[in-house]
Amino acid sequence: MARYGMVFDLKRCIGCNACVIGCKQENSLPDGMFFTRTLSEEYGVYPAVNRVYIPTLCNHCEDAPCEKACPSGATYTRDDGIVMVDADKCIGCSSCAIACPYDQRSQIDKDLLSHGLFGTDELTPFEEDGYKRFVPGTFTKCDFCSERVDAGLDPACVVTCPTDARIFGDLDDPGSKASTLIRERNGKPPMPELKTRPKVYYID
Amino acid sequence: MNDPQPVQNSLKSGRWIRSTCKMCLHSCGTRIHVTDDGIVNKIEGDPANPSNNGKLCPKGNAAIMRHYDPNRFKQPMKRTNPKKGPGEDPMWEPISWDEAFEITAREIKKSLDEDPRKILPSLEDFQKFNIWVWPLAFGNFNCFQSGGTMCGGAYHPANGYIHSAFAAANDAKHCNYWINNGTGDGFSSHLHAAAQSNWVANARIDRGMRCVTVEPRLSTSAAKSEEWIPIRPATDRHFALGLCHVMVNENLVDYRFLRKDTNAPYLVGADGYFVRNGEDKIYVWDSVENRAKPWDDPTIQKLALEGSFVVEGKECKPAFQRFKDILDECSPEEMETITTVPAETTRRIAREFFKAADVGATIEIDGRTMPLRPAAYNYYRGAQGRKLGFQANHAFKMVNFLIGNIDAPGGHLGVTLDDQWVDNSHVAPGENGMMLPNPHQLGPVPPFAYPPNTFHLMDYFPVGVHPPHLNLQVFQDPEKYGIEFTPDVMVICHSNPLWAMQGPRKEWFRFMASMRFIVVSDIIPTETTMWADVILPSHDALESWNMTMIEPPHTEGMCMRQPATEPLYDTKSEEDIFYGLSERLGILEAYNGVLNMAQGLEHKPELMLEPGRTYTDKEIADRKGRLWNDKGIDWYIDNCAVTERRPDKWYRPWEGMRLHFYIEDMLHQRDQLKEKMEDHNVPFRNEWYWDDYSPLPTKKLDPVHEEPEEYNLYGMFFKDIQLNFGESIGNPWINDIVYRDPVHIALMLNPKTAAAEGLEAGDIVRVESPYGKIYGRIGTAEGWHPDALGVSNSLSRMNIKHKGVPHAGGHFNDMLPYDLRNTDAVTGQPETVCRVKIIKLDDWPEGLKQGLTVYDLVDDIQKPGKGRRH
Amino acid sequence: MAIQETKIVGDSFQVGVRFQRYWDTSMANAFFCGELGAGLFFISYLFNFVSGMVAGMLITGIFKTYFHMTHMGVPMKSWRAILRPDRSWISRGLMAIVFYLVFGIAHCLNLTFHLDTAWGLGSTVGYIVQLLAAFAALVVMTYQGFAMSHSKAISLWNTILMPISSLTYSLTGGAVLTMLLVNLSPEKAANWEFLTGGILLLLLIDALVLVSLLYSANKRSEGGRVSTLLLLTGIYRQAFLYLVVGAGLILPALLLWLLPGNFAAALLAAVAILAGYYGYRVLVFKAGVYEPMTSFR
Ligand SMILES: Nc1nc2c(c(=O)[nH]1)N[C@H]1C(S)=C(S)[C@@H](COP(=O)(O)OP(=O)(O)OC[C@H]3O[C@@H](n4cnc5c(=O)[nH]c(N)nc54)[C@H](O)[C@@H]3O)O[C@H]1N2
Ligand SMILES: Nc1nc2c(c(=O)[nH]1)N[C@H]1C(S)=C(S)[C@@H](COP(=O)(O)OP(=O)(O)OC[C@H]3O[C@@H](n4cnc5c(=O)[nH]c(N)nc54)[C@H](O)[C@@H]3O)O[C@H]1N2
Ligand code: SF4
Ligand code: SF4
Ligand code: SF4
Ligand code: SF4
Ligand code: SF4
Ligand SMILES: [Mo]
Repeated sequence: MARYGMVFDLKRCIGCNACVIGCKQENSLPDGMFFTRTLSEEYGVYPAVNRVYIPTLCNHCEDAPCEKACPSGATYTRDDGIVMVDADKCIGCSSCAIACPYDQRSQIDKDLLSHGLFGTDELTPFEEDGYKRFVPGTFTKCDFCSERVDAGLDPACVVTCPTDARIFGDLDDPGSKASTLIRERNGKPPMPELKTRPKVYYID
Repeated sequence: MNDPQPVQNSLKSGRWIRSTCKMCLHSCGTRIHVTDDGIVNKIEGDPANPSNNGKLCPKGNAAIMRHYDPNRFKQPMKRTNPKKGPGEDPMWEPISWDEAFEITAREIKKSLDEDPRKILPSLEDFQKFNIWVWPLAFGNFNCFQSGGTMCGGAYHPANGYIHSAFAAANDAKHCNYWINNGTGDGFSSHLHAAAQSNWVANARIDRGMRCVTVEPRLSTSAAKSEEWIPIRPATDRHFALGLCHVMVNENLVDYRFLRKDTNAPYLVGADGYFVRNGEDKIYVWDSVENRAKPWDDPTIQKLALEGSFVVEGKECKPAFQRFKDILDECSPEEMETITTVPAETTRRIAREFFKAADVGATIEIDGRTMPLRPAAYNYYRGAQGRKLGFQANHAFKMVNFLIGNIDAPGGHLGVTLDDQWVDNSHVAPGENGMMLPNPHQLGPVPPFAYPPNTFHLMDYFPVGVHPPHLNLQVFQDPEKYGIEFTPDVMVICHSNPLWAMQGPRKEWFRFMASMRFIVVSDIIPTETTMWADVILPSHDALESWNMTMIEPPHTEGMCMRQPATEPLYDTKSEEDIFYGLSERLGILEAYNGVLNMAQGLEHKPELMLEPGRTYTDKEIADRKGRLWNDKGIDWYIDNCAVTERRPDKWYRPWEGMRLHFYIEDMLHQRDQLKEKMEDHNVPFRNEWYWDDYSPLPTKKLDPVHEEPEEYNLYGMFFKDIQLNFGESIGNPWINDIVYRDPVHIALMLNPKTAAAEGLEAGDIVRVESPYGKIYGRIGTAEGWHPDALGVSNSLSRMNIKHKGVPHAGGHFNDMLPYDLRNTDAVTGQPETVCRVKIIKLDDWPEGLKQGLTVYDLVDDIQKPGKGRRH
Repeated sequence: MAIQETKIVGDSFQVGVRFQRYWDTSMANAFFCGELGAGLFFISYLFNFVSGMVAGMLITGIFKTYFHMTHMGVPMKSWRAILRPDRSWISRGLMAIVFYLVFGIAHCLNLTFHLDTAWGLGSTVGYIVQLLAAFAALVVMTYQGFAMSHSKAISLWNTILMPISSLTYSLTGGAVLTMLLVNLSPEKAANWEFLTGGILLLLLIDALVLVSLLYSANKRSEGGRVSTLLLLTGIYRQAFLYLVVGAGLILPALLLWLLPGNFAAALLAAVAILAGYYGYRVLVFKAGVYEPMTSFR
């Protein structure tokens, strides 16, 4: 069984957030909701100053606090390591959101769905079609585009990334591009001190 | 909820179709997923397209939201409120297409019959030149063209002279040292942002290409570069001249290239013209025999690049020596006082650049051995949008000339606008062994005339593209310019001049108000559509056909656009709209004639449009496809027609010709214009900025540096990858990311500058230039040159009839000059930086408290709680 | 990194401190009512004060349930919350509430009607029932604190002091309500001085816990420092100082200490304590911030 993970190449990322919109397109996310965000951080003092762009998404932690906090069993981990939320089981208690140290959970707000992306209280055909997937009130998050992965495709954000800064792959396969990059460029997980064992690594 | 259907959009049942993105003027290949119910639910990059390689930038990803934008124009409309002005609701009334065409044609015809010059077109779709050229059908050279006002004026002619191409780019495939000066190329803007950032990222990471960004701000390019060199705005030419100084004085020069492939050895007389013999042959100096010979004398042993000679009794020097003389006064130390770039940095960069260029190295590509020069100086809008724009362009090219990388693998390469047909070469031989200069990349410019035939004075910019901002100068003082007609009809399509133009909105509003009739074809409400009398709504890019490929840096071919859905509303293609008008105006035959010429259809006579009929967007696209490779539109539906650029077209296509290191034509153009102005007693000829014409770049200061000292900072704006100008604002997905990015949410200052001005982040201010003012909120970040005040295009929109477009505090462009003093007399390129001062306010002025502002959105995002306004 | 440099970034795309946006006022209400009810039950239980226990169960059973349901995204499915007691404090807490209510009611019935002896079950059963009820009440008083302390995300919360503060605050609130109810009810189950003395002691403990909480959060991490600053000098300064500290701790302590035996003063003190307690509940949520993303400078 594969163990899926993602590598972010910070040298490549240009902070364009095409990934964010790619994800919003793929997953019909309502306004202000994100499964991935690319953050920026400026550091140093003029003229020795620089900025780094840091893509973030659910880390599909092996020791996932969200899963532990979930009282309903809605949050679970697939055999291939993808941390999922079963919308049919989720009660919208938000415990997972409080537990996730990476702030990667969002609630499907009924009003957000009905206001629509243009705030007109009318939905575009895109939204009409896409919002059917959501159960209002439940919490949701990035699922590594599990359906695409099942179909043998890369996640949507990976595919669109103009700089190929997102590398998706099987971390158990030492020959995968992701594993190789983690090995050769000393990949670091986010906030390792929390011991959540993320399956997301940063190389810089 | 046991739905077996996939929930991810790209996996739903439906079909994928091949098409082309149009969220900016470029043309990345796309694949569009349409559900069985006909809903467009996913757009991805076309992985078969070697240009964007399956990638899309954020704008490309956001096309669906433009398609389904409920604010779109849904049918033709006419204005019922006769009062026009900012905030004045046009009170649109839906009308039929017949009526819309009738009114429009009737109103246009009134002026057309009186004087075609009374018609002011602004037709801007870069992906549809067939619409762009429409006014030529009635011989009109007037224009209010918003595109290119601040960018291409000098850039395209300069590339036309030097590469015989429209644009230029560094060769990401082989380059190892990339200087980016005032451009987001490869990171955020300029050419095919999605495609180019992929090429450049691969070069950076896979090949270790070093990047150096010269910019007043820590742009994305600067942040990703190995080195950011902050520079005072509007001084880039001086930085480049400093580099040239070091290179020339330290012999960091590819002399072989200059001797063999350029006119640098050609002898220039004291008057600046080449010294010619009786047969009009230009002299060079053979330093072995120590005498002058015609350039093509087979006995020449070694061409002198330096020295001072007398030939046929005339004092003369090789062009290279002339440049060296100019550089004498351009030491890095001297330039530092202008640019603030430490002289040591300039010296180091010059040396690194030369070293990386590996002069002498060669590469064999397709059996052809060529110089390999893996270092290149790239630049665009920010660096060259200057009063002395042509000289700026020339100076940057000089850095490239000196290492012999022009059109060389790894170097700085000409990029054509649109290749049109497979075996077309964009270069041709000119006189005296030189390549034919081709400054008019967009077609002919109007011939000289006095009184002028154009309201923007294009009659006097024989080298340029167009200076539409001068419309305002002339409008304010028509007598001064001897104008004998008053434009009274505007025909606008795919253009937002009221956003794009520099100069105070107030004055542009007066100009708009002076029009008898304004027709606008657009898809969504903009600043400009607010002024329309009739709206002719067009299909959007997911509803129409097209065939083009715009400024592709590394590829050639054609990108086909096809409808993903039936039109959502009662709209038409631009082709239908302009054919509809042409028919009613009786200019159909002329229009088709213009198209045959401008679209290159003449080259395949079987494709030529017949005089008396109209063509659909699909038919035009089909012809352009056939023109490229003889394949019809159906072939394009199944095939990606984009390939990597063939090396013979891409690398040194001018092999055997000499490039224009020294642009003698500047002097011809100047003197011819002068002569004509004298002949016609043009009253403002003495005010004309004749010094701007120079065959070599000089260190003359741009006038922006001579503004009154109280304007102690330099105001500058910038594009970014999320934004197409300011246009993509209002797209909810774009808004969702833009207002979360600290770069786009405040007027930016270096914190030390802010402190010196007594300002803190969050302060409300008024910013004033000598020409206009804006309001805004201050933000601070270390990544700013202390002399700069930066304003993102995200802060430039006005209150319009589109709920999703938040306004900020006025428009940066209000502060830009729009006069001749700040216009390049060679090309019409205006200055795009202004000097400003900042005044702290206690609160927003009244008018800015109403409506949704950018700052409201930003506050919502940053405050605790769920936030987010809808 | 110095604290001045810490950026509060809201939901913008910057590295920095992000506000916790998920547990809001309705959740604070639920926590408050749950803890207060259980605290009242527990203190009353110590005095065998049935009216107090019943009131406590009503507060928990009705108000906490109501506010929880309003917070819940899919209230109809909230029963599912009970499914993972093996790992989720929410599940444990929910089970504890059920136990607390069931055994609490049983205990009260038993106290009133002496059912154990009446049904011949022996006093051991009654004893077990009351112990279970009391223990469940203790869990209800603390589990929310445990749920919060298990959030690695939010430094202000990620400490054993969280359940401790839940415990001490709910005991304080419970004691305050018991004091009032005892005074109002004919049962006179407890000694007034003893209760006010206890309350004074609890207030002191609350204050100590609060100080430790802030101190440790401030030391623990960047997010913790920001939380502390938000409360002490930032946007929540006034509410925190005046409501939580002033009204919740200092004022009642002074009233109870300086005006012993004065019912009006005690009433005022009780209101102030509860207001301060409520303020604490709300502000601890509001000042909760996520740690900033690892920096990759
Ligand atoms: N994403 C995106 N791509 C685009 C467009 C778009 O709107 N968005 N527009 C297209 C068009 S028409 C054009 S013209 C090109 C323009 O493409 P660019 O030239 O890349 O665009 P700009 O952002 O206008 O200018 C480039 C940089 O110049 C900087 N700058 C401003 N003043 C100065 C200065 O005085 N000196 C220096 N060194 N830098 C300065 C700005 O900070 C900015 O980062 O992009 C094209 N492609
Ligand atoms: N402050 C500031 N000013 C600038 C610039 C800047 O960066 N900052 N950039 C300058 C530059 S380099 C340029 S080139 C100009 C550009 O100026 P413009 O060419 O005016 O650019 P846009 O604002 O993009 O206007 C394009 C218009 O086309 C419409 N449109 C989009 N798609 C379609 C379509 O399919 N059909 C039709 N009919 N209409 C469509 C859009 O709604 C928009 O109104 O602005 C210049 N002015
Ligand atoms: S799309 Fe790629 S380059 Fe752009 S922000 Fe996302 S990860 Fe970075
Ligand atoms: S990142 Fe957060 S949501 Fe994702 S698995 Fe880890 S704890 Fe859960
Ligand atoms: S909100 Fe849903 S997924 Fe999250 S913890 Fe509660 S039940 Fe589990
Ligand atoms: S993997 Fe899929 S769901 Fe996750 S962020 Fe990327 S596009 Fe969104
Ligand atoms: S660069 Fe332009 S054409 Fe390419 S994806 Fe972005 S918006 Fe579309
Ligand atoms: Mo432009």
